[in-house]
Formats: sequence, C-alpha cells, structure tokens
Amino acid sequence: MKTIGLGIALTALAGAVQAADMGAANEPIKLAINEWTGQHVTTHVAGEMLKAAGYKVEYVTAGMMNQFQALADGDIHATLEIWSSNVSDEYAKKVSEGTVVEIGDLGLNAREGIAYPAHVADLCPGLPAWEALKDCAQVFATAETIPMGRLVDYPADWGTPGADRMTGFDLPIKAVPAGSEGALIAELRASTERKSPLLITFWQPHWAMSAYDVKFVDLPVGNEECFNDPAWGPNPNAVNDCDFAPSRIFKASWSGFAEKWPAAYEILSNYQLSVEAQQPMMGKIDVDGGSVEDVVAAWMAENEGSWRPVVDAATK
Amino acid sequence: MTAVADVAAPHATRLTLGAKAALITALVGALCLALEPVVPWLGAWPKTWVLPMTDWVGAALAWLLGWIKPVARLFSDIMVYPMGWANTALNATPWPMVIGLVTALGWYLGGLSMAALGFFGLGLVLASGYWHEGMNTLALVAVSVPVALVVGGGIGILANEVPRVKGAVQAVLDIMQTVPTFAYLTPLLLLFGFGPVVGLIASAIYAAPPMARNVMLGLERVEAEIKEAAIMSGGSRLQQLFQVEIPSASRQIMVGFNQCLMAALSMVIIAAVIGGFNDIGWEVLLTMRKAQFGPSLLAGMVIVIFAVVIDRMSAVLATERKRYDLRVVWAVLAFAVVFTVLFWSSLPGASEVAMLDGVANSLDRGLTRFTQSNGMALEALKNNTLYYVLLPLRIGLDQAVLPFTWGFMWTPAMSALVFGLGGALGLLLAWRGNVTGGFVVLIAFGMIETGVTNLPWPFVLTGAAALGYVAGGRRLAILVVVLLCTILLSGLWDRALLSLYLCGASVFACAVVGGAIGVASAIWAPVWRIVRPICDMLQTIPLFVFLIPVLMLFQIGEFSAFLAICAYAIVPMIRYTRHGLVDTPEEMMEAAISSGATDWQILRDVRAPYAAPTILLGLNQTILYAFSMLVIAALIGTTGLGQSIYLALGQADVGLGISAGAAMAILALIADRLVQGFAEERRKALGL
Repeated sequence: MKTIGLGIALTALAGAVQAADMGAANEPIKLAINEWTGQHVTTHVAGEMLKAAGYKVEYVTAGMMNQFQALADGDIHATLEIWSSNVSDEYAKKVSEGTVVEIGDLGLNAREGIAYPAHVADLCPGLPAWEALKDCAQVFATAETIPMGRLVDYPADWGTPGADRMTGFDLPIKAVPAGSEGALIAELRASTERKSPLLITFWQPHWAMSAYDVKFVDLPVGNEECFNDPAWGPNPNAVNDCDFAPSRIFKASWSGFAEKWPAAYEILSNYQLSVEAQQPMMGKIDVDGGSVEDVVAAWMAENEGSWRPVVDAATK
Repeated sequence: MTAVADVAAPHATRLTLGAKAALITALVGALCLALEPVVPWLGAWPKTWVLPMTDWVGAALAWLLGWIKPVARLFSDIMVYPMGWANTALNATPWPMVIGLVTALGWYLGGLSMAALGFFGLGLVLASGYWHEGMNTLALVAVSVPVALVVGGGIGILANEVPRVKGAVQAVLDIMQTVPTFAYLTPLLLLFGFGPVVGLIASAIYAAPPMARNVMLGLERVEAEIKEAAIMSGGSRLQQLFQVEIPSASRQIMVGFNQCLMAALSMVIIAAVIGGFNDIGWEVLLTMRKAQFGPSLLAGMVIVIFAVVIDRMSAVLATERKRYDLRVVWAVLAFAVVFTVLFWSSLPGASEVAMLDGVANSLDRGLTRFTQSNGMALEALKNNTLYYVLLPLRIGLDQAVLPFTWGFMWTPAMSALVFGLGGALGLLLAWRGNVTGGFVVLIAFGMIETGVTNLPWPFVLTGAAALGYVAGGRRLAILVVVLLCTILLSGLWDRALLSLYLCGASVFACAVVGGAIGVASAIWAPVWRIVRPICDMLQTIPLFVFLIPVLMLFQIGEFSAFLAICAYAIVPMIRYTRHGLVDTPEEMMEAAISSGATDWQILRDVRAPYAAPTILLGLNQTILYAFSMLVIAALIGTTGLGQSIYLALGQADVGLGISAGAAMAILALIADRLVQGFAEERRKALGL
C-alpha cells in the first residue's frame, strides 16, 4: 500500500514541477560515494545532471553505515542509493530528528532472495522450486552446520532475512551470517569455480548476478499477512513463509538542501534510474574495467532524452 | 584459556602455591559439573542477572559526548587545514620530484642502500597505479604522527615528572592499545564530525602509546650522574628536562618515533571505513568488497612499501649518526628537477601508470586455479580440523562427537573414560613429583570434555583468579576477578567465551608453529632470510587483505577466522623466539661448548632457559595481536565480540560498541598481565 501511495505522490509532484531558483550555485554540492559500484553509477549520473544544470559537484567517499552523521551535519549534502534492506538504525534516528530528509525513491527495482549459482541446479534437481530444498538440504551441508544444510546469509548487521525464511519454510537448513559483502562474493566465486554447492541470500542489481550466473529460488509471493499471520502460506505454523518483501531504494539529503539549492533539490528529488540502465554500466566498470567517469559520460551522451527533461523542468 | 593453562605447566617447581591454586580450580570445576543438573545457573549466567550496562554506558557517553562536542568540532575544524596542506603539497608535487626527494633523503640517512630502497619503493608505488591514493594516505600519516608524538611525548613526560600517576598512565596506555578501534569509531564520528579527521584521531590514539612508553623508558634510564650534573649547574626543572634529560634519552625516544610511525601507518586503513578521503585504504575496501585478491594485495602492498621505507629510514635515526655526502643529495635533487622540467609534458599522469595490473590479475587467476585443483584436499583439511580440534574445543567432546562427525555417538561412559584417563595421567604426574602438573592435566581434560564455551562461570572465575594469584599475587587475582565480573554483569559473557575460545585456539597454534619456526630460524640462518620478509609483510599489510584468499580457500566460518588470526598473530612468536635464542650471551655459549655439550644440548639446556622470558613476551604479544585481529575476523562471519562491534557500528549504538570493545580489551589485558607475571618470575629466577 505504502509504495503505491508514494508512487502517486511522486507523479503528482512531477506534474507540478516548476522552474526553481538556482540558489547558492557557486558552492559545491557534496554527493556521497559509498562502497559499491552501482551506487557510484547512480551518484555520478546525478552529479553530471547537476553539473548540466550549472552546479558545482564534489564526490566525497563515505562509508554506507557512517554517512548519516555527515548528512545530518551538512558535511555531505545528499546520498542517492539507500537500500531499505540494510539501512542502519541511525538513519531513522536522523530522520526523526529532522536533520536528514528522504527525497523519494530512486526507481531501481531491487530484488532480494535466496539464490544459487546456476551449476547448483545440477546438484539439486528441482530447483528453482523451493520445495526441492526440503530433499537436498544435505547437499548444502558443511562442517559447521552438519547435519543441516548451510545458507550463507547477509552479514549480521544487515539483518537476518535468510534465517527468517529457513524457519518460515521449516527447512533443515541453518543460516550462517557472512560477515561482509566481500565474504558473500568470495563464497559465490569459490562455489562457481569449484562447482561446489551453495545457497546464499543475495540481491540484484549486482554485478555478481551475471558474472557468476546467479539464480533465485522461487518462493511464494507474499503480502503483509505472510509476515503477521502464521496461517498464511505453505507452512501453517510460521510467519515469513514467502518471498522477500521488495526492498525500497531511495534517496536522502541534508535538511538544509532544499533551501540552499532549490533547483538542485528538485532535480535530485525527481531523479530516477532503472536497473536496465544501471546494470550494463556496472558491467562495463566491474567486468570490462572501465572508469566510472568514462562509462557514465558515454551513457549520458547516448541517453540525453532520459535525463535532460528532469534538468530542464527544474531550471527553465 | 588453554594457552594460559599451558604456561602454568612449567611452574611445577613451586609446588605448594601452584598446586593449591590448581587444586581449588579443579575442585570448583568438579563441583560445578556435579551440581549443574540441579543448579542451572552454575552453567550459564541467568539473563535476569544481567544489568543493562550497555544502555548505561550508552547514556553516560551520550551525555559526556554532548559536553565535549563543541571543543572536538573546533579541533577538527582546525585540523582540516594541516590535512589540506599536506594533501596539496604531496599531490601537487610532480611524482619525479617526490621520488627524487625520498631518494635524496635515503642517501643522506643511509647511503646507497637506503637511496635505492627509497627509489625502488616509490617506483613500485607509481607502477601500481595508486600514486594519488598513496599520497593521500601519506598526508594522513604526516598529520596524525605529529599529533601522536605530541600526545605520547606529553603523557610520557607527565608520567616521569609525577611518579604517582605512573600506574594510571600505564593502564590508560594499555586501554588505548587494546580497545579495538572499530569500537570507538561511532563516538568519534559523533564528536569530530565526518571526514578524515576521525581516521586521524583514531590512528593518533593507537600510535601515541608506543611513543609514551619509550619516552618514559628513555627518561627513566638517564644516568643519575647526568641528572646530578644538570642540577648542580643550577638549571630550572624545565631546563634540566629539555636541555639535558630529553637529549640524553634521544635514542630511546627515536625508537618510540619509529614505533609511532609504524602504528599510525597500520591504522590508516580504519580511516577508510568512514571515508571522506580517497586513500589507499578505500581502495583496499573496494577490492575486498569484490573479493578481488590480486588488486587488493596490490593496494595493500603500497602500504607495506611505505611502512618498509619509513621504518628503515626512521630506524637509522635511532642509531649512531653517520651522515652521507650532501653533494650527492643536491645532485639527486637537481637531477629530479631537471628531469621534471624537461619531460613533464611527455610524462604520463601518476594514476595512468598502472603497469602492475597484469600481475594483480594473474595473481587472482592463480588463486582460482589453486582452489579449483585442490578443492577436495582443502575441504578435507578444513573438515578434519573442525571436527577433531575446533569443535571439541568449543562445545566439548560430549556435544561435538556425533555420528556425522566422528562416526559414533558420544555416551556418558565415554565421558567417564575421559575423566578417568585425565585422572590417571594426573596421578602419574603427581606421583612423579609434579603435583601442579597433575592437576593441570586433569583440568585440561575436563575442559576438552565440556568445551570452552560451556565452561561454568564460577570455574572460569576461580581458574583465572588462581592463575592471577600464582602469576602476580593477590592484587592481580582481585583485578582479574573484578574485570571478569563486569563482563558477566554486562551480559556479554557468552560472546566473550566464544572470542576467548577462538583466540585461545589461535594462540595455541601460533605458539606451537611459530615457536618451531622461530627455533628453525635461530638455528639455520637461511630459514630466517626467507621468513623475515614474510614476517615484515604480514605485520604491515592491511589485515583485510588476508581475508580474501582465506575465504576463497575455506569459505566463511570459524576455520577461516582461525587461519586469518594465526596469519597475523604468529609473527611476534617467531620473532621473539628467534631473538631470545640468538641472544644468548657469548660467555654462556663458550662455557657450554668447552664443557663438551652438543648443539642440541646447548639449545635445550642453555639457550632455551635463557630465552624463556623473551619467548614469554612473544607469547604475550601474540595474544594481543590475536585479540586485535578478532575484530577483522568478524568480517568472515565469526559470532563473538567482534560481531557485536560491527552490529554496534551499523546501528550507531555507542553503548554496545564501547562495551564490547571494553570486554575485548579486558580479556586481552588479563591475558597480558598473567603472561607478564610469569615472565617476570622467570626473569627473577634467571637473575636478570
């Protein structure tokens, strides 16, 4: 419900867009650069749009978990790719303080789920149907989890969605937290290279999805009831027996942003980037070794029709 | 626990005290085991007895931070300027000039070999393509080291001038070095705001203690005659200090300077976790996130190169002054200037020189091939270690032995058999006159049967107190118990035991393997020639870099964490063992040789006893290193205190972060004090 309401609000906003004041155009706008490539692409596209509108932009590296203090203090002015699945509690604190404001969805259709590299389908026939996991849990067993199978879950500080699913579906599989994104990737890489079994909690868009040919397990599509009512879903005794709640990817800014750079605020609020646009750029950077600046510049030149209207609406 | 217990074994000579302590410990353990089914709170500390200490810590800190915040913000506003200057100076200077300067400095300090080190070192940095990131890192070090020097020097002088505070200062220095940096990142961030200043402060906090300790040591060792001469010539106290005592302690202080630089460099990576600065640590983190071993090793090597160059050059400062011809310095500089002027327009930009990318990629491919061809063997190695060593140690034989792992089910009869065996062995030892050893064996068997994480808390407290009493008397015993009780009350006990188990297993492995390598290095010089550069690299490379190959080979989990900790913590054990064995005084060696002892006899009966205090110090360092690696190892999915620290970092939970960090520091401190107590006793026994 919430997402639909927000979508309508956004369209309404887009309709009412008017040319806004440039504000302090000679002071640089600082955009946060977090630790992953997709975010670099998102941020650089937005930054180039701001530059096209006549702003100065500075890219500042910032840890994803620690950036909100900086955002609240105005040391960084906007961060453009926050995942609801692993946003830190501090974000909620800062929003309720009023020092950080959310400025709309990015429009990136994220998907999270229980995943496996393609070769695992040979080891556990019946995949991608989730029921197959009941019988091949043993295939995924390792020394730490024996006699149960093993699911490599998100690092503990991102929450435990994988573990919740395993309990929800009552599968004989134990979730083991990975500790870091690097650890998740190393697991995927080692499994692909060795053709060994692996079950992992993963998400897209991510460059590793195509690099390691990662597939999602089909889980029943859930709704609110699935998370509150045990009776819902294949397992009558537990909640969480459905697919992941779709994670929202959104943008946030420093509270003083709208006042200082009104036009830039409009551009960033209306800025959207799709998976179809972002994922190929990620591939060009991570797989083909291009630099973020070059890849983004090429995309901007080819797709002017998709971003120029947003800039023009705010400035003309 | 095991490692400490093993240290106790050689002290069988002190029959009465050691035996009594061991007896009490064994009795408490037996009592707990017997009563556990009836009195469940003996086994696990009840949740209801836990005080909300983490919340209190959080609230108290929030209040305190609010007070200091304006001052801290002012400080970080000021620090932005020197950071900016250092950054601009290093980045704006053309790279041939920087290389020329370092080469010239190398010549001036240490002649041709130093000049070559500087030239080729920085040349490698250039070739890696990380020149700008490297310069940013150097800028951070260039600002944080002076801060650390001033703070450390100030603390050292204060402790020297006001002897009453010495004990407190020692404790503060210990805390600064043992609380993991990650634990106080969040409060630092609140205090100083976002940006490289936080990293700067964090590395200064970590780098100041070695400076302070060396200043204290240096001033302490100034000879009484020199001090008296200063007093007699009528200098004021300040004049005595700055014109006589500090200059005469300068060599020791230079050692502190060197250690301070190295510590700051090893911590700069922490700055990257926060960001705000495009430094080499950020590169390491990015490549680590993609699990690219080659590139991350390459980025890590840049820090190693800086460390080696800075270490060797600043080490020269601490030795006798012999300076080289200044004319060569000018010649090198002139050449650099001419070269820059002539070729600048045709030279590639510093970041475009990425000649080593091919090497990095082929390293990565090599790792892939290795995992592919050795998958089965690696799997077997991991499983066997887990089934037969780590799991029993963690949860005890009675839970670890299952049909899936050992092929049969554990029965109470087998438990009885294990205890019987332990008892018999213990009796045998006691009968041969080693009563303490007998009890220790019995306790060790009991611990393997129950597992470290299932040990009843009264047993742990008694055991630690007993060890403390034997090692350092009543005061140490009380300290140990009080500190452990704070962990119990804060509700972090379970996690602390998990951390203790992982560290204990790693330290034990490091002591055995590292000790053996150390002995081999001491006996055969060629071995040391191979081992030494590896040790250098393991100590200075950012710890994160270890994680990728370990993960690729053994996947996430305890075994990987165990290996990663060992890779780092084994170094001091090797170094100190070798150092202790090589350093045997000539007279003793000659006496042994002239009395016709074989090489083996000399090693066993002369060198080893003489080296024992040094080796114990190495063990002490190994323990501290293991604890500091524990936080990093949490990135590969361990569940102890390290994970709590990351959880706290993610949720900006100041209370939990600081409490978990403090718990870790407490464990490290206790281990440190116990081992130092035993080392002190050995030294006394040797009359040193």
